[in-house]
Amino acid sequence: MSKPTRRDILKFGSALPLAIHSLNLRANSSTKPAPKRIMFICNSLGFYKPYFFPKTRGDLTTSDYLKNITVNDKLTIFENLYHPGMETSNHDSEKSFLTGVPKPEAPNFVNSISVDQILASKMGDETRFPFLPLSIYDRGWGCSWNSQGVAIPPLHNVNQIYNKLFGEEDLSAKRMQVDTDRNVIACLREDLRHLESANETSDRSKIETYRNVITALEKQIAHESSWLDTAKPVVTETLNQNPEFAFSTKIENLLRLSRLAFQTDSTRVITLSLDWIYGAIKVPGATGGWHTLSHHGGKPNLLEPLSRIERDIVKHLNQFLSDLDSIQEGGGTLLDHTTVVIGSNFGDSSNHTCSNLPTIVAGGSHRHQIHTIPSKPTPLCNLWLELLHYHDFDLGRFGSSDGNSCLLGVQS
Amino acid sequence: MSSIRVLLMCIGSTIFAASDVKAAYSPTALQTEEAMSLFAEYCLDCHSGDGAEGRFDFAKKLQRRSFDATLAFENLITQKMPPADAEAPTNQEQQKMLAWLAGQQKELEIIPFRRLSRHEFVHSVNDLLGSNLDLAAEIPQDRGTRNFDSDRRIGLSHEMLGSYFAVADQMLEHALPRKGFINEQTSVTNKLLDSHKTYNIYVRDYKDGVLFSWTRANNGNSYSFFYDNFDPPVEGWYELTFDAAKVGNLQGDISIQVHAGKYYYADDRPQPQRLLNVISVGSNIVEPRTIQVFLRLGEKVSVHCFHKDNFRESNPTRGAYIRSMTARGPIQDAWPPSRYGMLFGDLQVKTSGERGSERKSGTKSPLIKMPSYRTKLSKIGGSVTVSSFQAGMEKEKMQDGSNRTFWHTRFTPTLAEPPHFVILTNPNRYPISGLSYATWSGGNGNGQIEKFEVYASGDGKNWGKPIVNGDLETRLANEQPIPFPVATDAPFIKFVATQSFSIDGRSLASIGKLDVIVSLDKQLPASQISIVSNRIEDLRKVIRQFAERAFSSQLSESELQPYFELSEASLAHDGNFIEAAKIGFKAVICSHRFLMVPGEHSSEQHSQNAKLSRAIWMSIPDNVTNKANVTIRDQIKKMLADERSERMIKSLCNQWLNLRSWNNVSPSLKLYPRYDDLLDFYLPLETRAYLSHLIRKNRPASELIVSDYSFLNQRLADHYGIDAISGQDLRKMSFGPEVPRGGLLTMGSILKVTTDGFATSPILRGAWLSKNIIGTPLSPPPETVKAIEPEHGSQVASLREQIEQHKNSDTCNACHKSIDPYGFALENFDATGQWRTKYSAELPHRGTFTFRLQGYSEETSNIDAGGTIDGEEFEDVFGLKKSLASKEQKIAYNFAKKFFEYANGIQPSLKQRLYLMAMIESKGCAMQDIVTEVLAYSIQGNVEEEGS
Repeated sequence: MSKPTRRDILKFGSALPLAIHSLNLRANSSTKPAPKRIMFICNSLGFYKPYFFPKTRGDLTTSDYLKNITVNDKLTIFENLYHPGMETSNHDSEKSFLTGVPKPEAPNFVNSISVDQILASKMGDETRFPFLPLSIYDRGWGCSWNSQGVAIPPLHNVNQIYNKLFGEEDLSAKRMQVDTDRNVIACLREDLRHLESANETSDRSKIETYRNVITALEKQIAHESSWLDTAKPVVTETLNQNPEFAFSTKIENLLRLSRLAFQTDSTRVITLSLDWIYGAIKVPGATGGWHTLSHHGGKPNLLEPLSRIERDIVKHLNQFLSDLDSIQEGGGTLLDHTTVVIGSNFGDSSNHTCSNLPTIVAGGSHRHQIHTIPSKPTPLCNLWLELLHYHDFDLGRFGSSDGNSCLLGVQS
Repeated sequence: MSSIRVLLMCIGSTIFAASDVKAAYSPTALQTEEAMSLFAEYCLDCHSGDGAEGRFDFAKKLQRRSFDATLAFENLITQKMPPADAEAPTNQEQQKMLAWLAGQQKELEIIPFRRLSRHEFVHSVNDLLGSNLDLAAEIPQDRGTRNFDSDRRIGLSHEMLGSYFAVADQMLEHALPRKGFINEQTSVTNKLLDSHKTYNIYVRDYKDGVLFSWTRANNGNSYSFFYDNFDPPVEGWYELTFDAAKVGNLQGDISIQVHAGKYYYADDRPQPQRLLNVISVGSNIVEPRTIQVFLRLGEKVSVHCFHKDNFRESNPTRGAYIRSMTARGPIQDAWPPSRYGMLFGDLQVKTSGERGSERKSGTKSPLIKMPSYRTKLSKIGGSVTVSSFQAGMEKEKMQDGSNRTFWHTRFTPTLAEPPHFVILTNPNRYPISGLSYATWSGGNGNGQIEKFEVYASGDGKNWGKPIVNGDLETRLANEQPIPFPVATDAPFIKFVATQSFSIDGRSLASIGKLDVIVSLDKQLPASQISIVSNRIEDLRKVIRQFAERAFSSQLSESELQPYFELSEASLAHDGNFIEAAKIGFKAVICSHRFLMVPGEHSSEQHSQNAKLSRAIWMSIPDNVTNKANVTIRDQIKKMLADERSERMIKSLCNQWLNLRSWNNVSPSLKLYPRYDDLLDFYLPLETRAYLSHLIRKNRPASELIVSDYSFLNQRLADHYGIDAISGQDLRKMSFGPEVPRGGLLTMGSILKVTTDGFATSPILRGAWLSKNIIGTPLSPPPETVKAIEPEHGSQVASLREQIEQHKNSDTCNACHKSIDPYGFALENFDATGQWRTKYSAELPHRGTFTFRLQGYSEETSNIDAGGTIDGEEFEDVFGLKKSLASKEQKIAYNFAKKFFEYANGIQPSLKQRLYLMAMIESKGCAMQDIVTEVLAYSIQGNVEEEGS
């Protein structure tokens, strides 16, 4: 393999002479088929539907946003998907995007496990990171929820993510820390036992909750320590540092990191929450409050800057998909082995409605239909269930799923 | 009034054991019958059937018997209902109706515990360790979409616990470093690093130092000038002293903003740096001004000098004169640091290393002139040779830290032949991970490199194949990193320019800066501290004392056993007493006893101390046993007087008033060019100082709405257009009734945080006021209603019309009548809180945006701030404030509810709300009284209410 130049690295993003090298090595040395991977992306303020959905069924060129998608034969756009029970939801609907639990705005709402976490529970065993939760901002919650219905805080600092994935570690210090943490956890378990046996005052559910959390942490530490003897992959690709369009750059970098993580087989499950905050953002050609603009009410002078923001996001997503498709792996491309779900909790954020959620499934070995419109409103959880089946999870139902709608035709 | 009190005697109980509250009271048949007839009399005329007012069919709900009565209860208790034009129930009747509603309300299942929030964790650990390291930002935001960090519905995930573990390690290492403490050094500098050529005309050498004018960059950010010759050797606290004076005739003080951040040379679009503190200089005589700051590794110190009247004066004759900056640190409070005494008691402390044992705090550390290296290459002992050079453009010119000077290949008298290259030597065989390249800035661009190759060699002769090659940008001032695929420790590295820009086709090469990318293992002089003991009894004593402070409990031997064993195993393993104690400390601060609230306490008093200190100090209680006969109210007052209570004030500002969203919003530079870092720094401080004053001085709750004073300084007074005052220390200032300030809702901080930085939104502001101050229950907009987000700009005249569409729909108006009018009343304030009488619209700019003081805007239509709420008309914000302040009990009641939620992590039940209202009716509306009573109630129920 010829050595890529620095410009190649920057330009084509395929880069990673060594990473590719190691991928090739693995492909050569192993007869195993390429692993399946999956990524969920939630655009929390949705997409303006008239620009998003193709005007002519099945014809991507009739979508303002999607006409330039390069991997146009490896994706399916879905219409008519929704989350039942989300009829009067506000921005809290984001919490239910991957769980399908209704009424997230209710004061006594309790979430349940999100589809990505079910997938990660098995698909995560073989990689350094069982999964990666990512977001733009530090909000502490995104689309991933654990089996207790507790939010999993996403990573949002791109330099920290880069270091986590590829940065050098002080291994002896790390080993020492693992030992310390194990001893600390053993001590805390002992104290829990003591409390339970002695106990008069303390609350049993509290002890149980803490025990569950510490058990999960112990498992994570065990997983981490099993990877300490394996060197991290070496990548030479750097992050975009353009400070002018911080929002746009952030999304670009998060997607780049996602691609690198898949490419180096650092993880097989990624969830990216494109979250929002009040306040202005800047993308090429537009500055404004993303949230403010999302309440466009159909007015052209608000739609114009909003569509620039949305186009910018689609541009990065397109780049991401075509990058995945440019990387060869096991007789196909990385995209052929990676299912990328692009969707939103809002069908129309201007009116805060959650019907007809804009949804794209790209990549993977699905029999892509380009444009699928079920005849009746269909629970998004049906799609989640099919993705669980595709990844060999034999579940009868998930969330609000109401059966098999055969949204994805899996190629045999 | 007495009826409600009697009722309350039955329902008061400890909220922390909230399960007791549940079935305490339910209405009897007689009470129900009575209540029903009252509802029929006062409510059901309007609120029944399909055409019910506000689509609220109360009759139907009452038939069902079990329903969420919160809305009806709140409207009744705040006397919003029945409306002003309808007949109102008598006081006694109202109480009967409220009691019935509260009685039938089903209690939500209450989670009996919660996790310690990230801020509580960091404050507690700092207090336990006697350290001051704010690592809250290292822990992910932990509130979800809840208002208060203490909300019990927020669970603990193992990822979150993992970040507590990691932060615990960092804090322990910072407080008791295994590698010892880097010795304190002092360095003095008066030299600035290179700044962009556009801006370095706004500073000049003056006397022994530098004279600064107020410089904002073309992109509008504060342009801050970096000091040379000082790099913090480690993360930590430093003392910075600026010898500074004001020069020239400028009114009031000049502000020296001290920032920290990463230095980028030649960055003409600088990023905001971290503002550390502000020094206010009013005197023409040079005086030392000292601040203590926390610096992170890799940060440098920069200054931005502000006075509103000397914007961008080139070659300035007036402004801030800084003779020198003296940096001392990393500083410790004493030597050895006092925390050793606190944590290890009277065990013998041994110090070693250069610092020795005898230096007292306060004496000056030796002045060390740190050798200043321009490049990392020179730091690792390397040097450069070049293929050729032009006179005046020697190789040193790309090693001097500036890219205004540069190396150039020879072009006269003869033209040097390619290849053009630079060889860097690495005699000490450091692992070099790449090169850092920058073009020379300015000029015609001749020689700027387009393509390059890099070679490594063991002998400087045989070069083999390139280790990396590629392209470089021309005409880019920023440094361009050239990472190597793998680091090399080769003693010779050759950088070859294989293609360069040339205006006339000659073969040339030039470089502004070239350096190696290398991580340097710093070998800094450090001093060690150890404990001279290896006795298990000593270790146990240390662990016991720490655990008892952390858990606020007396602990038995058997309870401590797991923690003892952990530390003892470590001591047995490597004999290091402090390290053995540290692992025990870590287990303590990661324990469920510490992290899961409420913890396990050995006595009621311990439990009470823990609850109070968590609410008021966000931390652990003091280590003193409470004297007998100190009432809970005295204890609360004493704790409020302690300066740690400022943490509670800050939390209330962030969580209740939503100032935590402060940095999400930056005002548009086109509309608000005068908005700057200084204002951004002081606006939230005004709110904190004000709220702190209300609580500490027990001011009436009406002052949340209106008063004739606030806490201002020169910058804020100027912003608000109030009489000029000098200096940036915040002070209590009174003003006349014509000034709309005083009270939260007309503070710049609140007015800013309720916009998106461009246009003001009456809806956002109205909702903020309604939700946080007035306490109207709001629900999210229903589906299928076209949301209205008002737009300013060309059609601003219609702003009010747009929003008033809400009035056309019963569905919208049910809520928006309690939102929009408040927002309209605040329309006289722009998105930074300045007074205005007309709207402004942005104007376009040509080409790249360039900051200018007058901005890019034009005034458009007049503002109409009038409105009606609950039948009361007002003309503007003065009228609104007057109307709100006249309903002081309502404001006080809302604050009590919010504070209850902050302190308990749950919203008060309807029964508890009845108590809160009764409390306000009997004890009054003074802020400290409310805080005190809510805390006392939270802990003791109303057990102390005997005799009333």
